[in-house]
Amino acid sequence: MTIREKILVIEDEKSISHFISTILNSNGYEAMQARSGSEALSMISSHCPDLVILDLGLPDMDGLDILRQLREWSSLPVVVVSARSHERDKVQALDLGADDYLTKPFGTDELLARVRTAIRHTRTASGNDQIAQKGTYTVGELTIDYNKHQALVRGENVKLTLSEFRIVALLGKYAGKVLTYDFIIKELWGPRAGGDNQILRVNMANIRRKIEKNPAEPEYLFTEVGVGYRLAEGE
Amino acid sequence: MHLSTKKSLFTRFFPFSLRDLAVSVAILSCAAGICFLLQHANSSDGFASPVFVLAVLCVSRFTTGYLFGLLASVLGVVCVNFIFTYPYWAVNFTISGYPLTFLVFLAASVMTCALTTQARQSERLRAENEKEKMRANLLRSVSHDIRTPLTSIVGSTSALLENPELSLPERQELLEDARSEAQWLIRVVENLLSITRIGDAQANITKEEEAAEEILGESVRKFRRRYPGIRVSVEAPDELLMVPMDPILIEQVLSNLLENAAVHGKSTSHIRVSVRREEMFARFSVEDDGGGIPEKELPTLFDGTLRHSSSSNCDGKRNMGLGLSVCLAIVRAHGGAMSAQNISGGAEFSFRLPLEAQGVIA
Repeated sequence: MTIREKILVIEDEKSISHFISTILNSNGYEAMQARSGSEALSMISSHCPDLVILDLGLPDMDGLDILRQLREWSSLPVVVVSARSHERDKVQALDLGADDYLTKPFGTDELLARVRTAIRHTRTASGNDQIAQKGTYTVGELTIDYNKHQALVRGENVKLTLSEFRIVALLGKYAGKVLTYDFIIKELWGPRAGGDNQILRVNMANIRRKIEKNPAEPEYLFTEVGVGYRLAEGE
Repeated sequence: MHLSTKKSLFTRFFPFSLRDLAVSVAILSCAAGICFLLQHANSSDGFASPVFVLAVLCVSRFTTGYLFGLLASVLGVVCVNFIFTYPYWAVNFTISGYPLTFLVFLAASVMTCALTTQARQSERLRAENEKEKMRANLLRSVSHDIRTPLTSIVGSTSALLENPELSLPERQELLEDARSEAQWLIRVVENLLSITRIGDAQANITKEEEAAEEILGESVRKFRRRYPGIRVSVEAPDELLMVPMDPILIEQVLSNLLENAAVHGKSTSHIRVSVRREEMFARFSVEDDGGGIPEKELPTLFDGTLRHSSSSNCDGKRNMGLGLSVCLAIVRAHGGAMSAQNISGGAEFSFRLPLEAQGVIA
């Protein structure tokens, strides 16, 4: 299998676009560069990339608009790049269908990890290979058993309540991806559940106490401050 | 003068608030009550005017703007005339000295209102001045913090470009220098962003209830990635502690304190981070086992003056001025307080955040 996955880097800053492409090319991907929104849209339809890295601050159009247009006809994975202080943009982008985000400035490992996760999640229908094949998801000493509706730590059932299990199950299905508070709440309590995320916080706190050795030093359930939660990825 | 400014002028002098209304009603009812009592005890009616003048003074003092003060004085005059002066329960504008009473009431009200407003304004001015001073200090500190790493980055990269004959380890070293200086710059800029996020007024930060352990855990996770050699232990209470805060800003405070412990502790090998509940506050603390804080710097650590006397500090370029000022500004904007002390074998920086949103709720 020598076909390299094509990644389109949409970024107007030449130096940033250049370094992202260099990293991707030297790690077995084929990187293409687009400098503007209009160029990006035409390149997406003509080159059919496997993944798009999209900077939200483009000169000719809003990155969120590109995402919106793209999502009308494609489920192509999109990793959004934005500056630190704009976590509202991040949340909005994720809720609009972006697969993940990178905060500027980011390191090489972070970039590659996000790219890997995003590409993997589009390959399998259920979002996660492991679950599709075995009905379980394992990371470190944590196993989520989707058939028995249990979470096990070092083989022992940690006795989650129903809604606690549903949260963990959801995070496991999208392991490695950040899920926004809104997304989790809507998936769990329906689209009409209010924007209040206190119930979610309390549930997460309880889950951490059952799963993590030290709730303040999580190994599995990570908080993306101001955005949402992410479950550690296996392997 | 445009219409909008006229309107804002009007609302500035005559602001209406339910709190002020309640205060005025309470004070005037007290005055009326006292007069009724005195009326029963004593048949003369000379006491009503002074009691009401006092009430009007109080209303003017404890409410904002002129509105309630003026209303109270008009009401006071009517009360005195109608209820407490013979003939009782009848308005009689022919009482001798009546216009004088009315004038006295009005004058007392207007003067007190003016004094109160003035006092408030000068208080606000002083706060603004202080903020301005802090900003100037920050700017000075930042330009200092930025110049050195920039020089180093330009220097190392030029050296690489201009000397193709350099050996591989030498190249590596120069590149690593450039990278670590750039990372330092990133942190400086992040601190600056935090300052702009605090904005002009305290009410500008948007607080949300956040789980303290989540913020603590995240800050520590990011710190570990940067300083893998330093051991960090984290402690959070068993009970979930929800604290109203701007999570991004508090994360910045924690990461600054961690960074300070690592860089300024000199010999730091272990950092203890903890959060616990202390009455109506959440107390976050960062303790290290490094060299501690020089005694003579302790008293001036948080007074906003940034130290550039690099004489005591062998690496003067990495002063902790900016980081700490940002921490202090953020914690203050949350209505909290910060403190620092030397503990046995190290230093402890801690800050407290109120658990209940107090005063302005944004």
